[in-house]
Parts: sequence; structure tokens; C-alpha cells
Amino acid sequence: MKKSLNVMMLSWEYPPRVIGGISPHVFFLSKSLAEIGVKVHVVTCEFPGAPAHEVIDGVEVYRIDAYKNPSPDFASWIYLMNMNMQKEAATIAAKIENKIDVFHAHDWLVATAGIGLKHVFRKPLLVTIHSTEMGRRDGVHTQTEKMIHETEAWLTYEAWKVICCSNYMVAHARWVFGLPEDKLVMVPNGVNSRVYQSIKKGEEKKIRAKFALPEEKIVLYVGRLVYEKGIHILVNAAPRILEKVNAKFIIVGSGYMKEQLWEIVKSMNLEHKVLFAGFLEDEILLKLQKYADVSIVPSLFEPFGIVALEAMAAGSPTVVSDTGGLSEIVDHDLTGVKVYPNDPESLAWGVIKILSDEKYGAYIRKNAYKKIKDKYDWKKKALKTKKIYNSVLSEYSKSFWA
Amino acid sequence: MQVLIFSWEYPPRKIGQLAEYIDSLSKDLVENKIKTYVITCHDFLTGITEQPSGVTTVRVTNPVRNHISFLTWILTLNQEVGRVAANIIYQQKNQISLINVYDWHFIPAAVTLKRAFKIPIVYSVESLEDHRSQKANTPYNMAIKSIEWLGFYEANKITVKSKSIKNDITDIYKVPEEKIKIVESDWHSNFKKIRNIFTTISEGAKKE
Repeated sequence: MKKSLNVMMLSWEYPPRVIGGISPHVFFLSKSLAEIGVKVHVVTCEFPGAPAHEVIDGVEVYRIDAYKNPSPDFASWIYLMNMNMQKEAATIAAKIENKIDVFHAHDWLVATAGIGLKHVFRKPLLVTIHSTEMGRRDGVHTQTEKMIHETEAWLTYEAWKVICCSNYMVAHARWVFGLPEDKLVMVPNGVNSRVYQSIKKGEEKKIRAKFALPEEKIVLYVGRLVYEKGIHILVNAAPRILEKVNAKFIIVGSGYMKEQLWEIVKSMNLEHKVLFAGFLEDEILLKLQKYADVSIVPSLFEPFGIVALEAMAAGSPTVVSDTGGLSEIVDHDLTGVKVYPNDPESLAWGVIKILSDEKYGAYIRKNAYKKIKDKYDWKKKALKTKKIYNSVLSEYSKSFWA
Repeated sequence: MQVLIFSWEYPPRKIGQLAEYIDSLSKDLVENKIKTYVITCHDFLTGITEQPSGVTTVRVTNPVRNHISFLTWILTLNQEVGRVAANIIYQQKNQISLINVYDWHFIPAAVTLKRAFKIPIVYSVESLEDHRSQKANTPYNMAIKSIEWLGFYEANKITVKSKSIKNDITDIYKVPEEKIKIVESDWHSNFKKIRNIFTTISEGAKKE
């Protein structure tokens, strides 16, 4: 019998540790790969209460000590965490009977561990570039940013293939790191629409009442409160929207811009219209995404925009800024509304368009859900990823490392 | 016997006394029929070199040029040290008896190689972060101390050049005394003792 493909996935986040989009991405990708017969070993950072080793839906999950080294700053912490991750992953990989065939790293956060494991075990390294320092900071300016950028470049240099989640990111990574075209492959993110389907009916009133008055429409933002996500554009659009419709702005997530945003809200006297909800339990968040009257993704830089996919899968009409991966996910006037990035006036127009016409909203909802089903199913993503692994391995089999 | 020596100093890169010590030790080892590879760093003299003495040196450089601290420079440089060490291990068909690592700098690479190839580590301590930083306890110093701790924990044997350093290691890091060997600072007797330690460790590893 042919032995199954053994993949070691490196990610700094994996549920229940959720910081951004990498965690759900790695979770669903690994699970879907397991469903099509790939043996996946995820090595990730510890989380309070989560076991050091467990098997979830056929995926082996190892959580390593990530905080045992004191660190002067975030970047140093990342490299120290990688030191531990590499050491533990090497221990695990050395014990696996059938041997790891491929190492798959996600972003620079696990760069050095991935590069180290590649050379120690002489197996191909693949990387998924979810985002770049150049994009996140709109250029690299400080010493830390330059260091991170160079670490990303090194990771793509060492990788056999660089996977990106949108055509936009393929072009971006190619430019930022000067990569040859045949090194890049595009595999869009998937979304799990089942979690929204399984929400019981009849809870809408109860959930809405937790966040808004009965007469208020719910305008939902889910994401980190950081510059590149453009949340300040939404806050600045709020008064314009409120001139036309009665709405409540619910902002889920946290980040360094929180205080600043709250000051803006206060200066506009809109404290009663904008709710900073912080992090929410998954159970509540999924329902909120389903019942929101409109979901906003106002990003200035967006490699993919998984939160737009989630909204579409949940059945909430979306307004997105026409940039990056969002431009590819949403078709204007069909599966959502696209607005000009960095333009509160345009964003307000899009939100009002959806909130003031229920029929239009329903039409968008229906089309968006159909697109999700057709294009963004995780199983299709897993099949495509497995194909990439196999093609890399067939090239590898002709190399002197094999 | 074949050994890998990891040192962040080696001629022409001299910061303190360590560079010349490693130079002489490696020559002594080769004279005593121990195949010796010194893995070290240099910004532009990179690559593998067969020295006239018979010592093989490999110098690596850091692919990341911008750094925020000595610590981030060292941590990333370790990947290159690990990479060339792995190349030697594969070329020599896993016949490397041990890794001798000097101070904390290349402990991260040594530890991963130990876990992956089951190669024992001899950790030679010239000084401790507590000596260099006058016991400073900033997160930066603590990070370095945590790497020293990792080295003491993972090492099969620790060598020091004085009783006082041995005492500091047992006091600060709670390392069992029998794990630490004092090797005289007189080079001639020092080399002899180092060779004996290498032989013991290498034979011990074979039995396992």
C-alpha cells in the first residue's frame, strides 16, 4: 500500500488560539486535507487549557511552549518562539515512523523554524504568504519592519513554492520579494458555511436585543482595530450613514487603534451608536454575523479578506472596499457592494444603499451565498493544495536530497 | 571520531580570546586523529574551507541584514549554522560524534540537531550573561539567560575553566554538579582533558 502523504504544518495560531485569519485557515485546511487522506501534523503555540497534544478530526495537533523565554519585544519573541518550535517539531518529526514529506509554514511568524526544519530533514518547504510587512505598514520604515521584511523574503527564497490566497497577493508577493512567476501558486481561502447553517432559527430577536435597539439596523465590523483594516474609515462614515438610516455600529475585535477610535466617536457624540464589543465568543459572533443587516470590510490593505467570505456565508450583505483580495471575492451589485477605499463618503453610500432597500439586500445575500458554495468550499482548496504537494514531491524526487 | 565545533569567534574574526583558543584546540584535535569541523560566522568570507592544518571550517553569514539587536541577529544566524551543520551530518552519513558549542550563541542550532539526529552536545562556557551584564534583569538579558538555561538542560556535558564559573552555574541554573567538568585554563592540559571528555561522550552515545 502506498503510504499516505505526511505534512507538517507550522502556524503560530491554531484554535482555540485565534489572533487573526491564519488560525481558522490552518484549522480548516488541515481538517479538509485529513478528509482526503493526507496525514497532517500541526505544530503551533500553546494556549491556556488546551492540551499539548491532541487529535482533532484526524489532524495531529501539537502545542509547544511559546512563552517560556522572556522577550524584550514582539519580533524577538517570535524568533525565540521559533527556536522552541523548531526544537519540538524536530523531536516530533524524528519520531514519526513514515517521515514527514513536506513542511508547510504560514507567514514569517514561523519562518526560521520552517527554514531550519527543511535543512535538518532535507524535505521541501512550502509557505503560504497570508500578508506581508510591506503591505501591512505601507512600506518598510523602521528597523523592525526591515528585519521582518527580510525574514519574509528569506522564507520565500527557501520555499519550494509560495502559495497566496488571491491573484492580488500573487502579484504583490512577486513584486515585494522579486519572485519568479513559476514559484507562485494561487489557492483561495475557503469558508465553512455549515457553522452558519446550523444556527437554530428564532433566536434573532434575542441576539439583536443584546446589541441594538429593536428599531436600529445592525452594521457589523469584525476584525483587528489596526490602520490597515480601515476601521477609522467606517467610524468617519458613521455620521453620514446616520443622517439617512437609524443604525447601530458594532465593532468586534481589538487592536492598537481602539483608544483613538473611541476618542473620535466621543468627539462626534455618537457613544450611543457605536459599540466596541471587544472579542466575542464564537457562538455569539457567528449569530451576530448571520443577523447583521450589513457587514463592512473597509480595509486599506487586504491580502484576502476572509471576513467578507464569512459574512457572505452567514448571509449578511457586505460592503467592501475595492482593494486587494476583496476585489476578487465581491462582484459589485451582484454578490456585494464595492466602494472606494479610504473614502468615508463612498462607504456611507454603499451602506445606505443596502440598508434602505431590503429587496436589494436579499438579492445580494442570495447571490453571495451561491458564490460561496460554488467557489470557496474548503474541500476544493484541500484538493488543490494536495496537488501542489504532489507536484513539488515529484520535482523533489529528482533532486539529490531525495 | 568526528566533531562539530560551533563558535561565533574564529580567526580572522576575533572579539576576545575565544578565537585563538578555538583555532589551537581544533588543530590539536586534528593532530590527535579527530576529524574537526569549525562552524563560525563572517560577513563575507563565507563558505567551506579545508585549512592546511586539516581542520575544515565553514563560515556563514546572516541573510537578514537589518536587525534590532544582537539577540535577533544571533537567533536568525542560528538557522545558517544549523543548515551547514546538517549538510555536514548528511555528507558524513551521520557519523558525527558530538557537537561542541561555545557560549550561548549557537545553542539553538545545536539543540535542534541533537533532537533530530540524536547527536550529544558538549557546552563549553567561557562566561555567563550574569557576568557580562552585571546581573541585569531586563527582558533582553533574561532572554539570553533562558538560552543559556536551554543549553545547560540539553547538554550532555558542560565544561568550564574555573571552579567559580562551575559554582555560578550550579547556583544560578541549578545544574547538577556532576554534569560540569572543570578543564584547566593551561591550553596543553586543557586540550588533553577536552579530548578525554569527547571520547567519553562519544562512546556513551554509541551505547545508547
